[in-house]
Amino acid sequence: MGLRWYHFALWAAFAAGMFLLPEIVPRGTLRTIIFANFLAIFAISWDTLSGRTGYVSFGHPFLIGIGAYTTAILTKRFDVPVEISIPLAVLMTMVGGLIVLLPALRIKGSYFALVTLAMMELMYQLVQVIRPDLTGGTRGMSGLPTLTRGAVNGFYMSTALMLSIAFTTWLLMKTRLGTALSAIGMNEEAVAGSGLSVTRLKLVAFTASAFTAGLGGAVYVHYLGSIAPRALFDINFVFTIIVAALIGGAGTTIGPILGAFFLTFLLEYLRPWLPGAERYLIYGGVALVLYMYQPKGLIYLMGQAVRRVRKGAA
Amino acid sequence: MALLEIDQLSAFYGKAQALYDVSLQVEEGSIIGVIGANGAGKSTLLDSVMGLTKTQGDIRLESASISGCKPGEIVRRGVGYAPERFNLFPYMSVRDNLLVGAYTARDDIARNLDMIHTLFPRLEEREGQETSTQSGGERQMVSLGRALMTSPRLLLVDEPTIGLAPKVCLEIADVLRRLQAEFGLTVVITEQNANFALTLAEQVHVLETGRIVASGTPAELTDDPRLAEAYFGH
Repeated sequence: MGLRWYHFALWAAFAAGMFLLPEIVPRGTLRTIIFANFLAIFAISWDTLSGRTGYVSFGHPFLIGIGAYTTAILTKRFDVPVEISIPLAVLMTMVGGLIVLLPALRIKGSYFALVTLAMMELMYQLVQVIRPDLTGGTRGMSGLPTLTRGAVNGFYMSTALMLSIAFTTWLLMKTRLGTALSAIGMNEEAVAGSGLSVTRLKLVAFTASAFTAGLGGAVYVHYLGSIAPRALFDINFVFTIIVAALIGGAGTTIGPILGAFFLTFLLEYLRPWLPGAERYLIYGGVALVLYMYQPKGLIYLMGQAVRRVRKGAA
Repeated sequence: MALLEIDQLSAFYGKAQALYDVSLQVEEGSIIGVIGANGAGKSTLLDSVMGLTKTQGDIRLESASISGCKPGEIVRRGVGYAPERFNLFPYMSVRDNLLVGAYTARDDIARNLDMIHTLFPRLEEREGQETSTQSGGERQMVSLGRALMTSPRLLLVDEPTIGLAPKVCLEIADVLRRLQAEFGLTVVITEQNANFALTLAEQVHVLETGRIVASGTPAELTDDPRLAEAYFGH
């Protein structure tokens, strides 16, 4: 629906621009972009479920964690090659997430948010106490096989993954299915009244979101080469994902990418002055002001700017 | 031949009962009005036909029971629904709102869009506009259009004139008549605006606190004291 040649041209230009970056930016910046890419993947995953359907998840690291721990355990404890462990991790995230969280999709609003938050907390506790010989307990695991070495290769890998996920999600959202998913977030009753199965649509949104979270989580641990439960199931991590999607522009594909890059660089540039968790106060303030000024996010502000320029040129 | 038969229908919201043993028939190709004051159960009646509420009793479409069917199945069998106060997707364009309705009738999209653009040329002109920025009349057109995208034979319209200017009400009435005359649709409308329903419908049922208290042609009901009682309580 509404696919035009210039959409594909813009995607191609975006990808080309990204892949040229190693030629023009320093290695340190590339490392920051790698983290922005992964945050963008997680924010897209969150947005596919929460931004579109309005079912706000506060426990997305639960899904990311299933993917990350599955591949970490398989490679570290059972010597399964990464090429096999990552697809298995994605599958496990989709199936495990469905079993645990799908019943929660029957409840709405703050109750759904609380259930997802509880699931994240539950997983945090479980990985520490159940079979620490497998999960690494409170310390997690290190020495996991890495997919790439060096900032440039890491950048190419994370960028290719982020762009592939973003483009696929964008295409999905351009279909009638994508329109119906967005419709749920705006008016679930009207979707049902139009004869669509809301349950089936929510299942699709959840599965797509879990696929992205599982894939992102699995590749992330094989970029880092380690996994630590305290970092993965940190409430600040949840908020960073949500804020990235919201200030970038929830319910869009480019919005979460913009938000992820904005937040990652903001946090990085604040580091010299505020090395501790105080940075999150600053970004919380920035996010609040941005969100109050324009709830549709940075993507909408950019759209407005483009429209103004076009108007001025005409 | 009756396209829709409602037999001894009761509807519930949790423990609260909203309809009591409602029975009525809708003949194919007719326009039927259900009128009543706020809280009479008009929207509940249409929601019940669509499978959106918990019900007892039987609802039959072309003699086949649709009681207990899911809304998707009921839409596929040929019932379209334009709910009260438009119930649109506010941040979507007119076109996307219509296409959500097309989800169950994928083969007829082009034909249905043509029909909607013939009935509402304004929607074609503004197909890219977000519905949150439209007037009440335009939103009602989108709501009717979305219901028509499901390729219905029976169209249920809940309070089509609520909050609309008299001129727009006339336009809506004209469209509903054209749907009946030119496209062969059967139409059921609910209305608080008794004059609108009595002008448009061939048969009218008066609903009061969940029960049908009077039925008849507009001519029969115009001077019926039960109509005034249903609205004014005396």
